[in-house]
Amino acid sequence: MSLWPRSLSLRLALLFALVSTLVLGSIGFYLYQSLYREIAWRDDQALQGRLERMHALLDDSASIAALRERPQLYGNMLGNRQSLLWILDTDGQALIEINPAGLAIPTLPPAEHLRFARLDGQTPARLAWVQVRQGERSVTLIAGKLLAERNQMLAAYRLKLGMALAAGALLAFALGGLISQRGLRPVRHLAARAARIDAQHLYLRLDDRYPVSELHALSQALNQMLARLEDGFAQLSRFSEDLAHEMRTPLSNLMGQTQQTLRHPRTRDEYESLLVSNLEEYERLARMIDSMLFLARTEQPKASLNAESLPLSELVEQLSEYFEGVAEDRGLQLINQATHEVCADRDLLRRALANLIANALRYADDSSPILISSHDRDAGIEIRVHNQGPAIAAEHLPRLFERFYRCDPARAESGDCGGLGLAIVRSIMQLHGGRADVSSDAQGTCFTLWLPRR
Amino acid sequence: MRILVVEDEPKTADYLNKGLSESGYTVALALNGFDGQHLIQEEEFDLIILDVMVPGLDGWQLLQIIRRTSQVPVLFLTARDAVDDRVKGLELGADDYLVKPFSFAELLARVRTLLRRAPARESSVFEVADLQLDLLRRRVSRNGDRISLTNKEFALLHLLMSREGEVLSRTYIASQVWQMNFDSDTNVVDVAIRRLRAKVDDPYPTKLIQTVRGMGYVLETPA
Repeated sequence: MSLWPRSLSLRLALLFALVSTLVLGSIGFYLYQSLYREIAWRDDQALQGRLERMHALLDDSASIAALRERPQLYGNMLGNRQSLLWILDTDGQALIEINPAGLAIPTLPPAEHLRFARLDGQTPARLAWVQVRQGERSVTLIAGKLLAERNQMLAAYRLKLGMALAAGALLAFALGGLISQRGLRPVRHLAARAARIDAQHLYLRLDDRYPVSELHALSQALNQMLARLEDGFAQLSRFSEDLAHEMRTPLSNLMGQTQQTLRHPRTRDEYESLLVSNLEEYERLARMIDSMLFLARTEQPKASLNAESLPLSELVEQLSEYFEGVAEDRGLQLINQATHEVCADRDLLRRALANLIANALRYADDSSPILISSHDRDAGIEIRVHNQGPAIAAEHLPRLFERFYRCDPARAESGDCGGLGLAIVRSIMQLHGGRADVSSDAQGTCFTLWLPRR
Repeated sequence: MRILVVEDEPKTADYLNKGLSESGYTVALALNGFDGQHLIQEEEFDLIILDVMVPGLDGWQLLQIIRRTSQVPVLFLTARDAVDDRVKGLELGADDYLVKPFSFAELLARVRTLLRRAPARESSVFEVADLQLDLLRRRVSRNGDRISLTNKEFALLHLLMSREGEVLSRTYIASQVWQMNFDSDTNVVDVAIRRLRAKVDDPYPTKLIQTVRGMGYVLETPA
């Protein structure tokens, strides 16, 4: 395969040349064969005619002896040096012989009717012979033609054909090359345009009004890919910005508090509370890094999933026990109405549900119920976590699962996973081939997790 | 008890040294793999704390060298929380691992567990001061009064009493009592402790459950 050229137009030109060689070759072969047969047929006709004339001459002449005396009669008739003529008696003795090539008298099987044969050897020839009666004796008439001239002519014809074929193939190669160069020009144009698009110019798009339908489809597909890339890239850079911002807050707390404390001598208690406060900020940073790593890992396409069959009621029961105290503090009631079984990674699903329940506990109205239920939906199971509370404005809903997204930018609670809790929920669901959604109205907010049935 | 710490980061090495010494252990420090190998071959240790990324011989190589001759417990520290790393460490014969950043209380708890050669006191009755917990009868009493606890409160008290005198971090408590193996960023543990205190400590003059600021909780008779 390494002999196959890398250039597409060169490949096409070669294919053009190959195809035209095949076509021209077949036509040439056919023409050559027809010509060959035609010539052979004419030669045979001529030989036959000659034998017939010879026969008539013999009938007209009184005897062969008389004929022998007037050789120019048939000598003229033969007319060229390619022709052979024998008249043999029954003993095989030549009565008349015209033999410019000096061939030996051929031994031929007897023939009542006209017969043809090819004489191979140093000087190939075509022979026709017949036995005729002359008076009371029988003679054999043999007419022949040397094939040298004919072979020479055919060889010249073959050579011409071959040369025409070679010239045709070369021409096809050259023209094919030109045509594919021209035909592939839009591809080069597309490549040049695509080459101009880099990370700084992701907003550029390929011209998708190509008159060529194949390229139209290609440029459309590339444009869609670019749109997705631009989207992902924008999200990534926004994310890096957010990350830097989120880390800046705890770091500035740490630096400010520490510097302020170091300006004057303090009591032991003051130092201690500084250290504890610092520790809280450190823990916040550590949690954020943990969550970031967790997200990075679950968003890898090959992240591993330890899926098993899980009874939801048991899982929710466990979580209800976990959050029991926090809920009771605010008079909230966790109601477990989940009944289905799902196929999921136990730790991951527990983490997703824990994040949703923690979220519901944070925003629920005092002394209200938080309802956790499961339903059959779209060939899968839907888990709902519903809490009563102020409605979330519609413009926030689609972005709620983005990392670091907060409805109120000024309100950053130390407890809310640094804005990553819901992003973690979403990536856990994506890892399971499911999805996470949210709806909100005056009745409250409902988060739903949908898992496909396996 | 002698502990060898192989750690190249000076600040980490320093606080591990101080912290473990203050907790009553004798600490030897190696700042690179070759020193670590030398110390392992020359001296006897009860526990080795190994950072995976040290210059010279790395933690994995050192672990292999240790395991050729001894079964001393090895706790490895790693900044890369990759599953492969953990599996590799445990396969090479490490006994436990901690991912940086870790809380010091967590480290101490792991060290104690690894050094506790005999399994934990499997008694069914625990007693601290006038507080009693009977595991089999699921009964708790203080100063003779029956105290009724929910299941999880009972589990929490059992954990604190069975590790009397040890500071337990919130993460550790959450994982032991509720099997929550991730930081859930909620104050669930604090609330649970407060509710437990309300039943176990508040009515009595002596407070047994102590908060260690920034570290976690410990149950012990106050000095």
